[in-house]
Amino acid sequence: MASAFSKLWTHGPAAIVVEVIIGAMVADGLLLGFILLRRAYRKRYFAKRDGRVYELRKKWEALISGEIPYDTWRRSAFDRRIVEEIALDAIEAASSEEFTRLLAFLRATGLIEKRIFEARKHHGWRRLRALVALGRTRAPEGIPALAEALRDPDEETRHAALRGLGRVGLPEAGEEILTWLGENGLRVSPLPLQNALIHCCRTRPRMLLPYLQYADRPMREVLARVFGEIATDALQAEALALACDELPELRAAAARALSHADRQGPALHALSELAQDGVWFVRLRAVVALGEIDGAAATSPLLGALRDPNRLVRMRAAEGLATRTADMAAIFAEVVATQDRYALHAYLTAIENTGLRERLEEELLERRARGAAGAEHLLAVLRSERVTAEPGAPGPAHEPVTASRS
Amino acid sequence: MIQFLHWANYGFFYYYLLCNVIYLVLVIVAIKATTLHQLKLRSLRLKWYGESPLVPPISVLIPAHNEEKSIGTAVRNALDLNYPSLEVIIVNDGSQDGTLEALQREFHLRRVNAVYVSQLPCSPVRGLYRSDADQRLLVLDKEGGGSKADAVNAGLNAVNSPYVCVVDADSILEHDSLLRIMVPVLADPERVVAVGGIVRVINGSHVAEGRLEQVRLPRKGLEVIQVVEYLRAFLMGREAWAQFNMLVIISGAFGLFRTSLVRAVGGYRAEAIGEDLDLIVRLHRHLLDQRAAYRISFVPDPVCWTEVPSDLRSLARQRARWHQGLLDVLRRNEDMLFRPRYGRIGWLALPYQWVFEFLAPVIELGGIATIILAACLGALDPQFFLEFLMFGYVFATVISIGCVLQEEITYRRYNDWQDVLRLVSYCFLEHFPYRQLHMVWRLQGAWQYLRGDLVWKSPKRQGLASARAR
Repeated sequence: MASAFSKLWTHGPAAIVVEVIIGAMVADGLLLGFILLRRAYRKRYFAKRDGRVYELRKKWEALISGEIPYDTWRRSAFDRRIVEEIALDAIEAASSEEFTRLLAFLRATGLIEKRIFEARKHHGWRRLRALVALGRTRAPEGIPALAEALRDPDEETRHAALRGLGRVGLPEAGEEILTWLGENGLRVSPLPLQNALIHCCRTRPRMLLPYLQYADRPMREVLARVFGEIATDALQAEALALACDELPELRAAAARALSHADRQGPALHALSELAQDGVWFVRLRAVVALGEIDGAAATSPLLGALRDPNRLVRMRAAEGLATRTADMAAIFAEVVATQDRYALHAYLTAIENTGLRERLEEELLERRARGAAGAEHLLAVLRSERVTAEPGAPGPAHEPVTASRS
Repeated sequence: MIQFLHWANYGFFYYYLLCNVIYLVLVIVAIKATTLHQLKLRSLRLKWYGESPLVPPISVLIPAHNEEKSIGTAVRNALDLNYPSLEVIIVNDGSQDGTLEALQREFHLRRVNAVYVSQLPCSPVRGLYRSDADQRLLVLDKEGGGSKADAVNAGLNAVNSPYVCVVDADSILEHDSLLRIMVPVLADPERVVAVGGIVRVINGSHVAEGRLEQVRLPRKGLEVIQVVEYLRAFLMGREAWAQFNMLVIISGAFGLFRTSLVRAVGGYRAEAIGEDLDLIVRLHRHLLDQRAAYRISFVPDPVCWTEVPSDLRSLARQRARWHQGLLDVLRRNEDMLFRPRYGRIGWLALPYQWVFEFLAPVIELGGIATIILAACLGALDPQFFLEFLMFGYVFATVISIGCVLQEEITYRRYNDWQDVLRLVSYCFLEHFPYRQLHMVWRLQGAWQYLRGDLVWKSPKRQGLASARAR
């Protein structure tokens, strides 16, 4: 059959241009038509949906109590989606009692069963949505379907399954994730995995330990971050063991874990050691943990960290020292005694940021009024913001480090 | 002569054809990518990321030079962003208006003697200020460095977070923009080193308390045309190029970078005219030199709303400036062209910028001149000429309407029917006579660059607070 444009070829090569013009004009018209039709459709759809959401919300109590028979809305996909969405949103903010009631409702109406079916049988985006929705129900019976999806070759599906399992937040879900990790290694990006494990293992952090011991390096690092976040005082011995690990990420995680532990005795000692580690981020975590410890025992390692070559470590150490408001003048004297201008600047910055500079000055003025030795010198240092040796005082305990600092 | 005109016209025709075919491919790739991204977002609960204790902190860095009218809104907007770990750094770059005073008034600043290490070169910092109203706010007051790059470098020296988000002071971000722009980073933190977000036109919309209350199209036609332009540039161009990891620009108004990497390349280049383009090309160069596996991504849903010029003179200056920036970067990176080490950047992205961006005004205006000349000399088939013009015009409108469609099926920021119809109607006006005018401005920019006339006069601004009045 001859082309509709065949007559145009009598015009020679210009015909192709005419064809393109006609095609483009048709495309313009189609695009415009599509935009307008889609708008009209969506406007109608959302008006209908908003109206229905309002109606269903009004009789929500009757709906979940079963007073309104489930079959009146369950057969309509439109209503079912709305009811499920309202229920899942309610679960996110529900108390444990309310959660139990909502979960019973989702079970009784078969919505969980339906999502389990979709998570197993559907493909592509519909499966992803089913996996996340299943996780949002926090129903333990959803765990096997989510665990199956973890073994899917598609990365997006694995991520959705991880998010779902993380939302379930039960140790059983954590077991599934860890088993899968043991079988397959690290096949997802770290953050969704860590988030999921934090949620699932929070009540039973001990389940991470075998994997922390025997996994390969990248996985150990990922799991260590999780352990650092959720470790409790009962795991102090394990955290102390990690503090001696050869991997810096694990030592850093140990420092984080020890910040949750009873931070006296061995924990304090370990943190003080980690505050002198060769790797800056290990020192940083240790210093942050030390900063959270009340009392004089942590002051000395923090003062040491104030002279750290890394700026972030110095700043965190200074922030930790600035929280010790009971003996500010004494701490300031120690800072000045370091004869290190970086340490002094870090401390002054921290007390400036917390608005405590005036208070320090008042304390020093009071000391001077009482005739305390060295108060005049400390005031001068505070006002000039420069490190100067006290007249008649011996030289600095440490060599002042003024170069090669980051 | 006739023979020359004949060949020149054919050359122009094929250039134009190729250009439009590339645009068509880009728009198809972009629509596909955007749709997939939208579907992905449905299964990705951003709120859950926001609850995570492990999301990396971000410093929002806002350089401000004579931004008295906008700065309060910009800072309130930044502090109001939904992100779990955030600091906001404002760099007052030698403002001669009351920028610093406005900040002091509104955010109760007090001068602090904070640690400031000048790792990246910049003009001297006069003082640092902390806010008593919000601990997350830090203000750097520095001597004017004469460029945005200098101000950003000063801010980078004070950044403490692993990621820095650079935002213009005349722009505001949507509430969850930071969470959205972090999506590629959180998915692949090892490889993703920078992410661009979409920039849209705020003129005509209503802003209150640092938040965008209502999105409307601007009233002025010149501003509406820029809305179409921005949609095409971001939703089509950047989205599609990013799919091939060949993005060479992340808008200076809104971009997220790995702090250590920006520092490693020496920060922004103070003498750069287009500092945003310059930085991304240098990042590519640095990473390709190191043979690193990396990605520079673009996400179309974290939206930054910015003010665009509302008069012809300011717009002309802005576009000339952008073209100077492009030429400056292309000339400085000539050695990257067609070198195997620089892969697709050297073989495709930069040559595209040369041929279809930098040379576009020369070729298009030259083409129009030869067509007119050929018509005057009777060497042009009038029918072919008319058809050719029609072809270029209608094809370009398809691309523009395609971008409006992309906006419509994905983000739908313009809810009003009238706005959509106006947007579509301006797709028809954009390609004549605006496009030709735009080419003249760009040509002027190139000429000024070659003459060394690089004085920057900032465009007239109304300020974010008065967005509705306009």
